Amino acid sequence: MSLEEPTPEDGAVEVLPTEGDEIAELLGDLVVDREEHVNAPGFVIRPDSVQETLRRLRDEAGFDHLSCVTAEEREDRYESIYHLTSFDDRQREVSVVVPTTKDDPVSESAEPVFRTADWHEREAYDLIGIEYDDHPDLRRILLPDTWQGHPLSQNYDQDRPQIVTLKEWENPLADDHREDAGDTMYVNIGPHHPATHGVLHVKTVLDGEQVADVDPDIGYLHRCEEQMCQTKTYRHQIMPYPDRWDYASSGLLNEWAYARAAEDLNDIEVPEYAQIIRTMGAEFCRIASHMLAVGTFALDVYGDFTAIFMYAMRDREKVQNVLEELTGQRMMFNYFRLGGVVWDLPEPREEFFELIRDFLEDLPEAVEEYHDLITGNEILQSRTIDTGVLPPEVAKSYGATGPVARGSGIDYDLRRDDPYGYYDELEWDVITEDGCDNFSRLLVRLKEVEESAKIIEQCVELLEDWPEDERNIQANVPRTLRPEDDKEIYRAVEAAKGELGIYIRADGTEKPGRFKIRSPCFSNLQTLPEMSAGEYIPDMVASLGSLDIVLGEVDR
Amino acid sequence: MLPLQSEVLLPERIAGILGLSGTVGQIVGGLIGAFLIANILLIQTAVAGPWAKRKITAAFTDRIAVNRVGPFGLLVIVADAVRLLSKELVIPEGVDRPAYDLGPLLVPFSALLGFAVIPMGNGIHLADPETGAVFAFAASSIASLGLVMMGYASNNKYSLLGGLRAIASNIAYEIPLIVTAVSVIIFTGSLQMSEIVAQQTDPLLSVAGVTIPQWFAFVNPFAFVLFVIANLAEVGRNPFDVPEAPTEIVAGYQTEYSSVYFVLIYLGEFIHIFLGGALAATLFLGGPAGPVLPGFVWFLIKIWGFYLFTQWARSAIPRLRIDQFLDIGWKGMLVLSFANLVLTAVIVGVIA
Repeated sequence: MSLEEPTPEDGAVEVLPTEGDEIAELLGDLVVDREEHVNAPGFVIRPDSVQETLRRLRDEAGFDHLSCVTAEEREDRYESIYHLTSFDDRQREVSVVVPTTKDDPVSESAEPVFRTADWHEREAYDLIGIEYDDHPDLRRILLPDTWQGHPLSQNYDQDRPQIVTLKEWENPLADDHREDAGDTMYVNIGPHHPATHGVLHVKTVLDGEQVADVDPDIGYLHRCEEQMCQTKTYRHQIMPYPDRWDYASSGLLNEWAYARAAEDLNDIEVPEYAQIIRTMGAEFCRIASHMLAVGTFALDVYGDFTAIFMYAMRDREKVQNVLEELTGQRMMFNYFRLGGVVWDLPEPREEFFELIRDFLEDLPEAVEEYHDLITGNEILQSRTIDTGVLPPEVAKSYGATGPVARGSGIDYDLRRDDPYGYYDELEWDVITEDGCDNFSRLLVRLKEVEESAKIIEQCVELLEDWPEDERNIQANVPRTLRPEDDKEIYRAVEAAKGELGIYIRADGTEKPGRFKIRSPCFSNLQTLPEMSAGEYIPDMVASLGSLDIVLGEVDR
Repeated sequence: MLPLQSEVLLPERIAGILGLSGTVGQIVGGLIGAFLIANILLIQTAVAGPWAKRKITAAFTDRIAVNRVGPFGLLVIVADAVRLLSKELVIPEGVDRPAYDLGPLLVPFSALLGFAVIPMGNGIHLADPETGAVFAFAASSIASLGLVMMGYASNNKYSLLGGLRAIASNIAYEIPLIVTAVSVIIFTGSLQMSEIVAQQTDPLLSVAGVTIPQWFAFVNPFAFVLFVIANLAEVGRNPFDVPEAPTEIVAGYQTEYSSVYFVLIYLGEFIHIFLGGALAATLFLGGPAGPVLPGFVWFLIKIWGFYLFTQWARSAIPRLRIDQFLDIGWKGMLVLSFANLVLTAVIVGVIA
C-alpha cells in the first residue's frame, strides 16, 4: 500500500481529496457516503462496521491516532465522529462518521481497536445518549450514575429536577462488602486527597502495599463547558471560556485552540505580527504550566511542602508577571481574539522586552537548580526511573499526547507536525525521551521549558525589529460570524498537556451547533491504570503527578 | 569549667532545698524534678512546633513565614495553641475506643519517659540507673505501640496502612539504632548515662594546644553517621517519613485525629525528635559537654542541632518508597551496624 508509508512522491500528504479517494478505495464497501470536513475527508459508515473500518485505517493506512470521538444529535440522527490522524504525520487526517437512528442509537464500539475510545464513548453515552455495542464498561463518566437523561441530547428537559431517591439508587452509607472476599483492600483515593491535584477520585484496590487495580472516577469538576460554548457567539463570547479549561496557567494555549478552530472555520487570516505575539504568549504559558507540573510532581515524590515546589512557584510567578504585563491578567487572560490579539505589547516596549530578557537570562540558572535538586537526586531517580512505565504502543493506543507521549519516545508535537502560529519559522527542537517512565516525563518537561525559552527569545528579537507601521494585531473580522450550515472542523494545538482539539459544527447561526473539546488530560489520564497496575501506591501517586492532569480540563 | 555531672541528681537536690529527706523527699523531689524536666521539653516543643518549624522551612524555601504576632512572630505559639485546643474533637464512628484514646497519650509520654535518664548538664538529671541507655531506648520504643494503636483503632484504611508502615519502619531501623549504640557501650563498658558522658570528657588528642575530647563521634564517626541516619528513620522524618507520607496515605496513623489528640501526637513527634537528639548527644557528642557555655546550654544546642538537621532533611530530600525504605533498613543499615559492632569489639578487644 502506498499509504502505509507516506512518501513525498505519491503526493498524498498535501492533496487531501486525492487521499480521500485513496481512503475510499481502501475502505471500499464500508463507505456509505462521503462528507467533506474542513480539516479532513469524512466517510460515513454503517454503525456495525466501526471496528472493521478503524482497524483497516489503522493497520493499512497508518491512521494510528484516534484523536477524538465527537458525538452529537442531529435533527434526524445521532452521529459519532471518529477523528483519526497519524502520529507520524499529523497533517493526514480523516473523519469517520457513524450515524445511528433516532429510536435505536446503538453503534459498534471502537474500544477493541483504540483503547482511548473507552472513555470517549462513555462520555458520548453520558452526554448524548448513544450506546456502544461491545463496549467493555459503558457507564456514565462525567455525570453521577443517578443522573436522569442525557444533557446534550435534543429532547433533554433541563427543568427536570435531578433528585433521585435512595430507593431508586443504592444507599451511599450502606456497608461495603467489596473486600470481604480475597486479601485485597479497597481504598478511595480522593476526591479529597493531597495527591490528586484537584477533585479526582481514584478507586484503588490494594494488595498489601501494591496496587491491584485502579479506576479513575472523574466528573467532579464538570462545568458543562461544551454546552456553554454552544450557547455563545463565535466572535467574542466563547474566548473567555478556554482559560477555564486548563486553568493552571495555560490560558493562552487553550485560547489558541479555540482561535485556531474558529479562524479556520471562518477563513480568517491572522496577521504575522499577531502570530508572533501569540507564539510568545503561548510559550510563556507553557513555561508556567510546566513549572507547576514539575513543582507538584516533586511535591508528590518529595512529600512535604518542600523547597522545589516553592522554587517552581517563584519562577512561575515571574512568568505570570510577564503575562500580566502583556494581557492585564495573571490567569484568566482572554487575550486572543479571532483574527489576532486584543491589544499590542505594553508601552514602553523597551521595558517589557527588558522584563522578558531578565527572565530569560535567569532561566538557565533556575533550570540548572532544578536539575540539581530534582533530576540529579539519587533518591528521586530511584523513585521515578522504571516506575509508571508507559510503552509507546500503549501510549498511542490510549491517544496520549504532549509530554506524556514524548516521554515514551513518541516524536509528536503539533507545533512542528501541524504548524500553526509562527512556530515553523523559528529554531527549536521537539524533546523526546525513551525511558517511558516517570523520570522521562519529568525530563521532557524540564527540557521543554528551555525550548520554550528559545522560542520566546526569537520572538522578542522579531518583535523588537518589527516596523512600527506594520504592527497589525488583528485581521478585519466581521462583527458577526455566521459560518455556513453543516461546516465541520476539528483543529488542535499543542497545549501544555498535549493535543488540545476543538470540533465545531456550524449550523448557520452565530453560535456553534456542536462544540466539542478534546482534552489532552482526559486521554492522558486514561493511561493511569496501565501505568500503575502492580506497582506500589507511591508509584501510582508519582505516575499521577507525572501525567500532570488538571481536572478542569479533564472534566470540562 | 562547671562540673558536667554533679554527683547529686535533681530529685535529691530538690529534696535538699525543700529540707525533706527519706521516702517523702524522694517522692516529692522526683515529682517536682519530673515536672520541671517535662516542662523544659514542652517549652522546647512549643517553640519547635508552631514557630521554629515554620521559620526553618521558610528559610529553605525563600519565604518569611510567621512574623505578625509578637516579636519574630513568636506569639504565634500562643495563638496556635488556642486555635488547636479550641477545635472540635471529632471522634469518627466505629473507632476502637480505649485504644483510639490511649494511642495519642502513649506517643508523647513514652518520649518524655526517655528523658528521665538523660543527663542535661548542670545537674539536671532525673535518674541515673545502671541500665540508663537501655531504659532510654526501651521508653522511646513504646511510641511504636501508640502508633499501631492509633492506626488500628481509627477505623480508617489510610490509618491502618500508616500504622503498619510505622511498625515496619520501627522494627527495621530500631535494630541498627540499638546495635550502633551498643558499639558505644563496648567502649564505655557501662550502660549508665553518667558514666558514658564522663568517659567522653577524657582527651582524645591535642592539636596546637586545643584539646579534643574523646567524644565517640570523633572516636568512631562511622557509628555516629549510622546512628543519626537510623535516628532519622526512628523519628519518621524525610527521607524516611513513609508512615505519614501525606501525598500517599494522607497522614497515616494520625488521619482521624483532631484537636487535642492531634496536638498530643504532634507534641509526641517533636519530643521524639528531641529525644533522638538527646540520645545522639549523650552517646556520641559528650552529652552536655562543651567549652565556655554552661552544660545545659550546650545540651540544648545539641538537641536543637539535631532538630535543625531533621528539618533540613525534610526540606531537601525526597521520600523513599516503602520497599526501598525497608531494603535500606534490613539490607544496608542492619549489615553495616553489625559490621561496625564487630569491628569495634575487635578493636576494643585488641587495645584493652
